[in-house]
Amino acid sequence: MKRRNFFKLLLAFLGSISFASFAYPLIRFLAPPGLEAKTKKLSLSKGEIPVGSAKNIVFNNTPAIIINRTDKGLVALSKICTHLGCIVEYNRDKNRLLCPCHAGVYDLEGNVLSGPPPRPLQKLPLKVEGETIVIG
Amino acid sequence: MFNKIKKWLEVRIGLDDLTRTQLTEYRVPKNVNIFATLGFVALAGYALEVISGIFLLIYYTPHPDHAFRSVQDIMTRVPYGWLFRQMHVMGSNILIAVVMLHMVTVFLMGNYKRPRELTWVGGGLMLLVTLTFGLSGYLLPWTQLSYWATTVVTSMPTAFPYVGDFIARLLRGGDYISGITLGRFFALHIAILPPVFLSLIALHLFLIRRIGISATPFGTSDEEKRPLTEYKKKTYPDGSPYYPYFFRKQLLMVMIYVAVMFFLITFMPAMFSPDEANTPANPLKTPFHIRPEWYFLAPYQMLKLIPNKFLGISIQIILVGIFLLWPFLDSQKEKNVFKRPVLRGVFTFLLALWVVLMFWGKY
Repeated sequence: MKRRNFFKLLLAFLGSISFASFAYPLIRFLAPPGLEAKTKKLSLSKGEIPVGSAKNIVFNNTPAIIINRTDKGLVALSKICTHLGCIVEYNRDKNRLLCPCHAGVYDLEGNVLSGPPPRPLQKLPLKVEGETIVIG
Repeated sequence: MFNKIKKWLEVRIGLDDLTRTQLTEYRVPKNVNIFATLGFVALAGYALEVISGIFLLIYYTPHPDHAFRSVQDIMTRVPYGWLFRQMHVMGSNILIAVVMLHMVTVFLMGNYKRPRELTWVGGGLMLLVTLTFGLSGYLLPWTQLSYWATTVVTSMPTAFPYVGDFIARLLRGGDYISGITLGRFFALHIAILPPVFLSLIALHLFLIRRIGISATPFGTSDEEKRPLTEYKKKTYPDGSPYYPYFFRKQLLMVMIYVAVMFFLITFMPAMFSPDEANTPANPLKTPFHIRPEWYFLAPYQMLKLIPNKFLGISIQIILVGIFLLWPFLDSQKEKNVFKRPVLRGVFTFLLALWVVLMFWGKY
């Protein structure tokens, strides 16, 4: 190896290290702050949601809804539409979940009935312990 | 690959001709010294301020209820936020030191003399804008120090009859420092001053290239002897090429600047932050020993010494005027400061006065 090429390599090496030592802090600085994955359980009393009504909740930073259906009982669904992330609304008269953005329609099980959504709504684990509803 | 890109650009913007005329065939005088690089170092330092400032802007909240907290979060919770804030704070202080040194060396070498008066005026205005940057940025963390220092400074115009009170109220957006002031100073610091400063940089650099760089007076000087009644660009056919020779020198000085900056950040992180700089602003309690930054200490002490408020501030303004218009007041043809004993004496006196006042202002 020629002396000149050796120095070129050395310069490239040292330059890369210097660059990396600035690039790394910058990437860390700009990266979104890590959300603590709060798998905390959420509990509320059964009396809050009589049959036929629904209650909006926020679980793990996700807007969700608990519906007490007349035929199948309690269900907890994420309200984030699987199409492009708008928030679906519960329509009590039609027994449907409607997305205002692009007319996605879901039934109360979270399944897609019509419109563009590719997947059913995400279901949240729900347990009933006596008089308490536990989400998570 | 690299050659292909170069060729592509060559066809479109004539890169070869540009690098030849502006870099390799642009020559600087043979006896150019290390002080001629200080302007470039200041430019690099300013660029670092811009970059670190933009990073801080991402997390800073310009509201009196959140400003202090957001700066604390940048320092303690945002990954490497401390690094960018320290670069900004330390950088601002050593940048001003470099700018002052640049000014002093240009003065001593007589480089402001005809035909370069406008370059000096532009540089002087840049110094004033830089100090305004320091002043407006000072309030943004919303600490006791920044709150009360800004109170003192914005009260200064009240010394003038009739218009003084109005100017003070205009600066503060009210009778005292409040969220309105913070908004104003924030706008000043990040939106109003930068374009003004960039225009001045453009003017300064344009003039340097247009008139030609000034020869150091030590040794030979030819051009300054003849009466200058027409435009003539000064060139140095026997000088050394700007690139790579002089550019390398400039780069070395920038590296030294950055090294000093990181040395200070590492070993003296609290150099410019006394306790008052770490307590949130309290409009109901003025802390003891409220002092401006080091570069304002001398004028500040002068104000304290002169018993008449109006006289004190008027003298300051007259001094700034003399400083800006100095090239027009200095009619001597001789550039070399070693051949001008009176100027040398006055300069030494002023420098000593500045240093004495600065340390006096500190205690």
